[in-house]
Amino acid sequence: MQQNLNILVVDDFSTMRRIIKNLLHDLGYASVAEADDGNTALPLLKSGNFDFLITDWNMPRMPGLELLKQVRADARLASLPVLMLTAEAKREQIVEAVQAGVNGYVIKPFTGATLKEKIDKIMAARAAA
Amino acid sequence: MQLYAPWVAAMTQALATGDSEGFAAALAGFDSARHCELTMHVRRVASGLQAALERFRVDSRLIDLAQRQVPDARHRLAHVLQLTDDAAHRTMDLVEQCCPLAAKIAEQAEHLLNLQHAVASPAAASPTQLQGQFEAFLKQAGSSMAAMRSNLSEVLLAQGYQDLGGQIIRGVMALVDELELALADLVRIAGADSHDSVGVGAGVAGRSGADASSSSLTRGYGPAVPGIDHGLAVSGQADVDALLSDLGI
Repeated sequence: MQQNLNILVVDDFSTMRRIIKNLLHDLGYASVAEADDGNTALPLLKSGNFDFLITDWNMPRMPGLELLKQVRADARLASLPVLMLTAEAKREQIVEAVQAGVNGYVIKPFTGATLKEKIDKIMAARAAA
Repeated sequence: MQLYAPWVAAMTQALATGDSEGFAAALAGFDSARHCELTMHVRRVASGLQAALERFRVDSRLIDLAQRQVPDARHRLAHVLQLTDDAAHRTMDLVEQCCPLAAKIAEQAEHLLNLQHAVASPAAASPTQLQGQFEAFLKQAGSSMAAMRSNLSEVLLAQGYQDLGGQIIRGVMALVDELELALADLVRIAGADSHDSVGVGAGVAGRSGADASSSSLTRGYGPAVPGIDHGLAVSGQADVDALLSDLGI
């Protein structure tokens, strides 16, 4: 089923961006853009019309946590749903991400089913709010 | 001793000739020489102390690198090897599952084609039989293609090892850099010691372990490696979900 969400995928590994993009296409999300770290993602987010952000954590230059903080600090982007998709597995990091305002956290390696479940959950919470 | 000889000689001569002013001047010279030697001695001790402290800092870093981080790096690289091995086998398993499905469909398609070609002959199967076989083929093709689609999707996911392995390799590369800098410091200090020079320089203190660890939370630690990263790390998505639930998400 075609889903009308403009999604930005941010990951420094091009293979992972391709994997996520392909899975999103399988889930019906046709409009998917890519960025390789927070520095390149932020201008895209500010100039584009994105409905959803999926970001890695550990990236050169601007890591995902910093990107999340910058998104929450920007009045126009503050309510953008953000899903962290990362190999970072320390409890203190997950707590830190939640405190910074993340909407969902998926740990790598992951499955297409988990990705779908988390996106659906975040969008359902949005719709109910 | 050589430093004092001219002043002692001058004092002896002044004493012998009753030259009190000359004696006082020679005594002042003797005193000055003594202070000069003391200052040089203090400077040598300070220099040695500074070199020892610098060596201790480098030694501590090398000990940490050698005892903890290098063995950890070996485990991390072994984990990368395991990741690539798992991904390669998973990919090959899935391809091996796809091959018979594709072969079966090709075989059935050829069989049906032959049946259709023969339908005009007197001994041919009836159109009803042919239709039944067509239906069975289409059902089989549908389920085989769905299985192949699912396998191909998993082949795609299996390539995630490149990201996880790449992050670990980057971490090990940073460790090699650190090791190189620490060894370079050691060589520099050894050179300074052999030349008995004063001052050891700033070194690479800006890349100390303490600085690195303080920024790790923000920058990220990289993938958890079994046997090394345990205790504080979650064990999987179910663990993450439980933690998020506790945190109200």
